[in-house]
Amino acid sequence: MRSRGAARWIIAAPMALLAIATIYPMLYTLNIALKSRVDYVLDRGGLTTDLNFQNFVDAWTQANMGRYYLNSIFVTVVSVALILLISSMAGFALSHLTFRGSRATFLLILAAMMIPFQVIMVPFIKTLSDFSMINTYPGLIVAYVSQFLPFTIYFMTAYFARIPKEITEAARVDGNTIYGVFGRIMLPLGRPALLSMGILNALFCWNDILISLLVMQSPSQRTLMVGVSALRGQYPDNVPTYLAGVLLVVLPLIVVYLIFQRQITTGVTAGATKG
Amino acid sequence: MTALLGSRPDVPTDVRPGAASPKRRPRRRFSLERSAPLVLVFPAIAILLVFRVYPLVLGVNFSFTGDQELNGVFIGLDNYVTLFTDVRFHAAARNVIVVLLFVPLEVLVAGILATFIFLKVPGHRFYRSVYFLPVVLSPIIIGAIFNIVLAANGPLNDVNKALGLPVIDWLGQSNSALPSVLGVHIWATFGMALVIFLAGFSTVDQELLDAARIDGASLAQTIWYVVIPELSQTIQFVFVTTTIGMLTGIFGLLYTMTAGGPGAASYLPEFLIWKLNGEAKPALASAASVVLLLLILVIGLLQIRVLRRATKEV
Repeated sequence: MRSRGAARWIIAAPMALLAIATIYPMLYTLNIALKSRVDYVLDRGGLTTDLNFQNFVDAWTQANMGRYYLNSIFVTVVSVALILLISSMAGFALSHLTFRGSRATFLLILAAMMIPFQVIMVPFIKTLSDFSMINTYPGLIVAYVSQFLPFTIYFMTAYFARIPKEITEAARVDGNTIYGVFGRIMLPLGRPALLSMGILNALFCWNDILISLLVMQSPSQRTLMVGVSALRGQYPDNVPTYLAGVLLVVLPLIVVYLIFQRQITTGVTAGATKG
Repeated sequence: MTALLGSRPDVPTDVRPGAASPKRRPRRRFSLERSAPLVLVFPAIAILLVFRVYPLVLGVNFSFTGDQELNGVFIGLDNYVTLFTDVRFHAAARNVIVVLLFVPLEVLVAGILATFIFLKVPGHRFYRSVYFLPVVLSPIIIGAIFNIVLAANGPLNDVNKALGLPVIDWLGQSNSALPSVLGVHIWATFGMALVIFLAGFSTVDQELLDAARIDGASLAQTIWYVVIPELSQTIQFVFVTTTIGMLTGIFGLLYTMTAGGPGAASYLPEFLIWKLNGEAKPALASAASVVLLLLILVIGLLQIRVLRRATKEV
């Protein structure tokens, strides 16, 4: 299967085309974002000649992007921290401890994983408003935590289950409490899984639009994605500035992707190959 | 998944051990150590029961009550009747069928590309990274970029013009709006399916591949008789996640690209639910949610059954 040299090169050609189709829209966007408005109107497709960074400055200052960035960072960091803490606690209990109701708990988690947010969004918002958490950061955080928790618990349970029970039992014999075993043994051993889930959940929270639109209704509390989608209305006739705003949002995502590519793919492929 | 469905009535019972522990206190001294498993699992259970299970029950309940002046009043199946006569619901239902037709396309594209990458075509590592990149981008960003790319005066139409093809307002015409959005969705997510396929490939038994080669099997035979049966689990998984992704993960694109339009041409159930809720008809939206839930459960069950049978015959 590995010998057909020419065939492999022939296959590579359409793959290269597809790779160009994947990258091209982003380069096209970058090209336009660097144009002045006049250049854009006169010559849309042509390669930009002067590197005009004014659009980025305009998008950042006029559209309140700094504020949205802070909002998104705050909500994402707190949500991910809570998701990781709660899910590793539950994953440890489900994989290494025996207790009544553990099977039912696991089934609850699987069931919660299967129910998409859209199905419960109306009553969910009602539940949040019963707790008067609409338009508050805790409300948005609780929404993200409950949304992304089930899969993360599933992942952490599967990961911890691969750690031999002898290790935790030996640690207990040495006089550790269960909490000590969790803090001193499981969390350090679970670091790769926590990193993978941390990155993936951070992307989910950062990129979300639907939950954020529903929970945060006042403009100053918008997250970055909602803020960017509103930019379009702000600059209906100034495409370069709008796209510069879009690119300011893309940049951190691409950096995260380049650094953590392996952790992200580990996260999304969980569950594909077993049980 | 059958187990999942069966499990729902049991769900409340699993909190009982936690709730019951104070009662045991007189007999056994309460100990933080002994109740550790419940302490560890309690936050997860509490959050899921309050913010997942309770809303689900509330929503089903809600769908049998009225909106506005009939708020909270039991009206039986009236919401469902209203829904089934709503043109936007018809559009959403029709569009679900279109969506389901696009699922095999995405799975096929991802499967073929994953096979090539698995066979280590020149530059396979680079392709893998590039194809996956859009997965990390928000639908909002992707929608913004493709609004420009697909515009009537955008670069795609420049290509059309250069090739002598007609210029199409991709997002502005009712027959091309939804397929365009789905095309963009595939562009954005096939990398995910591809990576899942690759994870599956890495578990294919190398000895089986070697045996097939020694027996003189062609590449097509190897794929059909060895790789596909070995991958049945992965293929199922990709089908299910792709379908559910298409039915519940396009909101961001619809929101930025078409807003459901033109008219109701690109409505999908999730967009309809959001729209009805925004029109102060939460009970009607809940009825639509129940329909979407049933759809997702049915599709999940059907797919697993069909695929299981299909792979057993091979």
